Amino acid sequence: MRAYKKEVQFTIWMTLAFVLVGNAGLFFAMFPTDAMMFGFPVKYIVPILLGWFGVFFLTIVAGKIGNHIDDEIDRENESLGHSDEIKGA
Amino acid sequence: MNGEGWQLSNPILGLAVVGATFLLFYIVGYISNRKSASVQDLYVGGGNVGALTNGLAMASTYMSLATFLGITALILNLQAPFILLWIQLILAIPLITIIYGTSLRRMGAFSPTHFIRNRYGVKASIIAALFMILVSIMYALGQMIGIAITFETLLGIPYLTGLIVGGLIIVGYITIGGMAGATNNAAIQMVIMALMFIVPLAAIMKAVGGSGWYFPPLLYSDMVPAMLESMPTFFDYQFSPKWYFAIIPALTIGALGLPHLAMRVYTASNLKSARSAMVWFAFILGLVFSATYAMGFVGVFATATQGLNVSAADADKLTIILNLVYNPEWVTALVIAGAISAGLSTLSGNLLAIGALLSQDIVATLKPNISPKMSLRLGYAAIFLGGLVSILLAIEPPAFLVVSILWAFGLAGVTNAPLIIVGVWWKEANKFGAMAAAVVGGLIYIIVSPFVFPSIVLTGHAVTDGMGLSGALLAVPVSFILLIVVSYITNRMPSLQSKLSRQSDIELIERIHGWKDIQSYRYNSTAGAAITVVISTVIAIWALMPWNM
Repeated sequence: MRAYKKEVQFTIWMTLAFVLVGNAGLFFAMFPTDAMMFGFPVKYIVPILLGWFGVFFLTIVAGKIGNHIDDEIDRENESLGHSDEIKGA
Repeated sequence: MNGEGWQLSNPILGLAVVGATFLLFYIVGYISNRKSASVQDLYVGGGNVGALTNGLAMASTYMSLATFLGITALILNLQAPFILLWIQLILAIPLITIIYGTSLRRMGAFSPTHFIRNRYGVKASIIAALFMILVSIMYALGQMIGIAITFETLLGIPYLTGLIVGGLIIVGYITIGGMAGATNNAAIQMVIMALMFIVPLAAIMKAVGGSGWYFPPLLYSDMVPAMLESMPTFFDYQFSPKWYFAIIPALTIGALGLPHLAMRVYTASNLKSARSAMVWFAFILGLVFSATYAMGFVGVFATATQGLNVSAADADKLTIILNLVYNPEWVTALVIAGAISAGLSTLSGNLLAIGALLSQDIVATLKPNISPKMSLRLGYAAIFLGGLVSILLAIEPPAFLVVSILWAFGLAGVTNAPLIIVGVWWKEANKFGAMAAAVVGGLIYIIVSPFVFPSIVLTGHAVTDGMGLSGALLAVPVSFILLIVVSYITNRMPSLQSKLSRQSDIELIERIHGWKDIQSYRYNSTAGAAITVVISTVIAIWALMPWNM
């Protein structure tokens, strides 16, 4: 049950994180600001930076967790195989 | 700076550069293709492409002529909102990979429709394949328009001649190349595109007085005060939060249904490699996307402060025009070669998807006894025919090349993405739900688009309706609702039980998630399905309420 739950929760939360980070413009459409950052309006540069480095960072996290969950699924599969063998014996 | 006919004054130079680029692609394609003997080799390059090559190829397939020419044109027209719309397109490969790419890779799928056939049966897969062919052709159409414009500027020939000459050369290359050639070529093309976009942009930025020219994608803030002075509205959001929200179903979910993108995940040698490719993709695409926003910014800056005059009809040529005005001719020739590379890699992805859809997903499904040799030939014929159709459609092009491409995203989001997402994560989804979702959702999306019944639209704002933003906000949730509700009801109708394949569906889902056993608690959440229906209903109702554009 553990790896399955992790897989589902990882996919839901990671998808939400990606959608929010990639669509930061929606946030500034709801909460407008005239503040400036690095010489640009915040509402312009923050979505661009998040859409590049934010997404890049999330892909690293998603890759690591995805590989980890695959390994856990494999381990659960193996333990299943062992218990079957025991039953068979 | 009021060029009536923007073109290279020395076409020989342009032709030499483009010819050399093509020669390189043909050689790589030929060498790779010698190894491509089977159908699997043709479409997924044997499934053993490395992470960096694949990441570059993913970015290259995705970074189409829209990125090279289309974005800057719409930034000129819509300013900052279009940049904000474009940013989330980087999510495509990461979301495909985490939501269903690895599952379909585990299954050994050729294409998303291959999964739909195994999951929902032949009829549903043919419906999905037909819609996907329409998606791929609309996507290819935008590339063809861009290729025609590029050849028009390169040779000073009329649009139509450019379309036929450029279109046929490129379709010929793709038909010969196959996916193995395409993957290696796409990786090379990505490097060429990045260099031929960013380096000339640095020179343009320097010419218009920008001091951050040494890193153009992000360092142009010193031009902001002058921009705000001559065009104070550039950074304005212009539209309501509803417009920005509509980007999610139309483009973020839409990208999940694009057949040629998902196919890139299946070319990975293993799941770990597919995930590494996603990281490379995000880094490279972020770099190039940011450079295109800078190019659009500089284009608007030049028109607002430097007296550059670009007519509405020439908007799609902005990137080339900026190079013609501010850079030496040989640089513009390199940019044109880069633009053609961009069109080439995406078009090859589109046409290979059409080839796979027609030969594998339709003909081979209807006639399973067809020989592998015949199937391969049919694939080549379909690739060539798909190219011809997109050339014919481009004879009378829409105002902006990027509009047809973005509309295709929405159609994929309505007819394909829900079937795959729900199909991978919910055992109850069945063929009746899938067919209802694809057919009804697809028809709604097409009806409310301005292309069929111009008077039946949701907003009346031409670009918003044309890009499918408004249509997708309605049709994508409707598609999810139909898929879930119809599946749930038909699963409980005793008269339909003999027509459903519950047990094999359950086994398939467990297997593609990596499980060797079957457990009833997995991928079976009624609560999750109910929440999706409630959220989708609220969004669909919201889409029908006034947009106040």
